[in-house]
Amino acid sequence: MSESTGLEQAYRRLLACYPRSFRQENGAEIIAVLLATARAGQRRPGIAESVDLIKGAARMRMGLSRSPRPVLYAVRLMYLGALAELGVLITVVLTEGSIRAAVLQRNPQVTTGQLGYLKTIFTVDIVGSCIGIAVWILLAWANGRGYGVARIVAIVVCAISGVLLLGDVADGTALYAPAALIAGGVMWLIGLAATVLLLQKQSWAYFSRQAAPTPG
Amino acid sequence: MQEATFLILTALADGSQHGYGIISEVTEISGGRVRLRAGTLYTALDRLRADGLIEVDREEVVDNRLRRYYRLTQEGGNRLAAEAARLQANANAALKRLNPSLGVI
Repeated sequence: MSESTGLEQAYRRLLACYPRSFRQENGAEIIAVLLATARAGQRRPGIAESVDLIKGAARMRMGLSRSPRPVLYAVRLMYLGALAELGVLITVVLTEGSIRAAVLQRNPQVTTGQLGYLKTIFTVDIVGSCIGIAVWILLAWANGRGYGVARIVAIVVCAISGVLLLGDVADGTALYAPAALIAGGVMWLIGLAATVLLLQKQSWAYFSRQAAPTPG
Repeated sequence: MQEATFLILTALADGSQHGYGIISEVTEISGGRVRLRAGTLYTALDRLRADGLIEVDREEVVDNRLRRYYRLTQEGGNRLAAEAARLQANANAALKRLNPSLGVI
């Protein structure tokens, strides 16, 4: 196998990280450029160019390559929301045992049924956080690609979350767990900021363009 | 506008270029300070095409390798001109305010 063939195959393996449609349209051309910029006698891709290609592929996979700046920031905020939700999930899982112990210590007469109810609350929280992470990631991915439905869903989810949060504050439920209120408030603010960005003029133009039928 | 975008548009300002040509031009324009890598270049080209600032001019096959030439669109030219004017105005303002007695200029 010649050096250039081996190098070309290594570049092709890296390009496999890119979405298929992008590879089909640009793959041959990128390979030509990579080979043209390779050093004489180079046998494998350098670390910096490998990182550069993987970074580019990740941006495309996450739908961050073609979107205008407001959509780009909105998508980043949504991934941040997923991270925050993950933080909540980890906190719930890690503190379950200590909360159960605290309840038992304060009230040794607690019934099995009450402990079962506590377990149910934790389970609901964990499942809710998992769903929340999935929703954040899905909305980030779909909005980055300019799917109009995803933008509508993001706005609706933000509105519903806001109403639920205000409801919890109004009836005092949220005040029993300040940490949960703060976490919920932070995530809602992240969602609100992302929604505002999705409603910017540039975002409207992007979503309209993506919805337009492709010529041919 | 990010510097890489500005430099890519500048590289296409006086005529169409293929990918490797753009990399070479950007290196030359920036005095060797900016060396675009293929991943960065094609992510930027994909975005610029989507924004309507550049378009494919023609394609050639050289040594069995595809060579695609890109050119500025009218909108791309307008955006580059506006950005160049903005940068020039900022540079002029900075140079005007610098005190020559400090020996800075």
